[in-house]
Amino acid sequence: MTRPRIVLASLTGLAVFGLLWEGLVRLFDVKPFILLAPSEIVAELGNAPARYTEAALVTARHAALGVIIALVVAVLLGAALAASRFAEQAAQPVLMIILVAPWVAYFSSIAIWLGAGDPPVVFLAAFVTTPAFVFAAVAGMRSADPAARELLASVDASRWEVLWRLRLPSALPAILAAARYTVGLALAAAYYGEGGNLSTAGLGAIGDRAAAAQFGPALWATVISTVVLGVVFLAVITIAERVLLHWHASQRDTALPRSVR
Amino acid sequence: MTAISLSGVTKRFGRIHALAPIDLTVDDGEVVTVLGPSGSGKTTLLRLVGGLEAPTSGTVTVLGGDAGRARAAKQIGFVPQAPALLPWRTVAQNARLLLDVNRRVPVRGGPSPDELLADVGLSDFAGAYPHELSGGMRQRVALVRAFALGAPLLLMDEPFAALDEITRADMRHLLARLCELSATSVLFVTHSIAESVFLSDRVAVLSLRPGQIVGAVDVALPRPRQPELEDDPAFFAVETRLRALLHEGAGR
Repeated sequence: MTRPRIVLASLTGLAVFGLLWEGLVRLFDVKPFILLAPSEIVAELGNAPARYTEAALVTARHAALGVIIALVVAVLLGAALAASRFAEQAAQPVLMIILVAPWVAYFSSIAIWLGAGDPPVVFLAAFVTTPAFVFAAVAGMRSADPAARELLASVDASRWEVLWRLRLPSALPAILAAARYTVGLALAAAYYGEGGNLSTAGLGAIGDRAAAAQFGPALWATVISTVVLGVVFLAVITIAERVLLHWHASQRDTALPRSVR
Repeated sequence: MTAISLSGVTKRFGRIHALAPIDLTVDDGEVVTVLGPSGSGKTTLLRLVGGLEAPTSGTVTVLGGDAGRARAAKQIGFVPQAPALLPWRTVAQNARLLLDVNRRVPVRGGPSPDELLADVGLSDFAGAYPHELSGGMRQRVALVRAFALGAPLLLMDEPFAALDEITRADMRHLLARLCELSATSVLFVTHSIAESVFLSDRVAVLSLRPGQIVGAVDVALPRPRQPELEDDPAFFAVETRLRALLHEGAGR
C-alpha cells in the first residue's frame, strides 16, 4: 500500500471508532463516569489545557525515566547472563516472578519505603519493565553470529569489545521490539503510581482524585492523555528503529512480488 | 623461519577422535593447502593453528611461539567459512573491522583497506551494506578484511564453499593474485582439488576421521598463477595425483 492510502486507512479506522463511541454513548445515555463521549473529553481537555499538559509531562517523565533505567539495567544484566548459562538459569525464575507479580498490590509498600514524590513511581515503572528487556537482551545477544564471534576471537577481542561491537547491535532488534510492549506497561505503572502515591502531580494523581469524586470528565481526560503519550512513545520507538536498525531485514520493504509474499 | 609447525598434534572431542597425530610445516611466505573431505577435521586443524582450540597432545608452533600468543598479537588473519560480515557496518567499515578491534596491539601498517577494496573491484560498494551484496562480493570483503590486517599469517577455512562454480573460479584467481602481492604465509583448507592446486605451493591430503595426512604433493607450477593454467596438462597431472590420495585417504 502507498503511504497516503495507509494514512487514509488509519484515519478512517479512528473516525469510525470515534463515531461509534459517540453514537453509543448518546444513544444509550451512558453515565459520564462509566463512559464519556469523545466530544465531551475534548471539551474537558479544552477547559484546562495547561493542567493536563503539565500532568502529562510529569507522567511522561516518570514512564520514560523508568524505561531508560530498565534498559540500562537489562543491558548490563543481559550481558552477564548471556555470558553464563548458569547465571541465566539462576536469574530466570526471579525475573519470571517480577514479571507476573501484581504490582498494583505491592505498590503501597514501595510508596512507604521510598516516600512521596517521584522515586516510588519511577522505581515501579523501571521494576516492572526490566524483565521483558532482560529476556530480549539475553536472547538477542545469544543470537550474535557465531562466525563473527570466532572472527573477533581470532584477534583476541576483549569481552567488552565483543559486547559493544557484536552482542549489543545483535540484540538491538529484540530490545526495541520489547520496548514496544514495555512503554505501555511503564505508562500504566506511572499512572497507577501517581494515583497511589502521596504526591499530587501527574495524570494518575488527577485520575485518582476524579475516581474518588466519581467525576467522569477529568478521569476520561487523563485516560485519553495517557493514550496520546503511549502513541508518542511508540512513534519515538519507530523512529529509533528506522535510525538504529536501518541495516536490519525488519526495516526493509520486501522486494518479493506480491504472489510469493 | 617456519610460519607454522605442527608436530604430533592430535585432537579428541570426548569420544570422537578428530585428528590423529599430524605433522605439518608451513614455511615463511609459503601457501599450503590442506585438502580433505567433509568431516576430516580440516576446520579443527585450522582452529588449533589459530589458537582458538588447544591440542589434546603434540605441539603447535605459530610464528616461532605459542598459537595463543600469535592470536593475542593479531598476527593471524582469519577468513571463516561464512563471510561473517557485520550487517550494521558498511563494506568499508567491515573491511577495517580487524584493525578497529583490539587496539591494545599497535597497527602494523598493512595494505590500506580502501586500496584492497579497489583491488577486488568493490570501490563502488564501499558505502553499501552487506545485504546489498552478492555472495561472491561478501566473500571478497571477507578476504579484504583479512589482508588489511597485514598479518604475517593467513588462515582460510573453505571460504568459497558456499559459492557457485563460476564465482569460485573467479575467487581463487583473485585470491592467488592477492597472495602473490603480499608475502604472507597462508594455510588454506578446502575440499576442492582445483582450488588447492591453483593456490598452493604444497598440498597436504587429509584422510577421514581421525584426520591424518596421507600424503603431500608439491605444486611446481609457475607463478604468478594465471587462470589459463587450469587448462594445462601439468595442472591435470597434479589434480590426478591428489584425487588418488583423496581416495586412498577415504579408504576406497
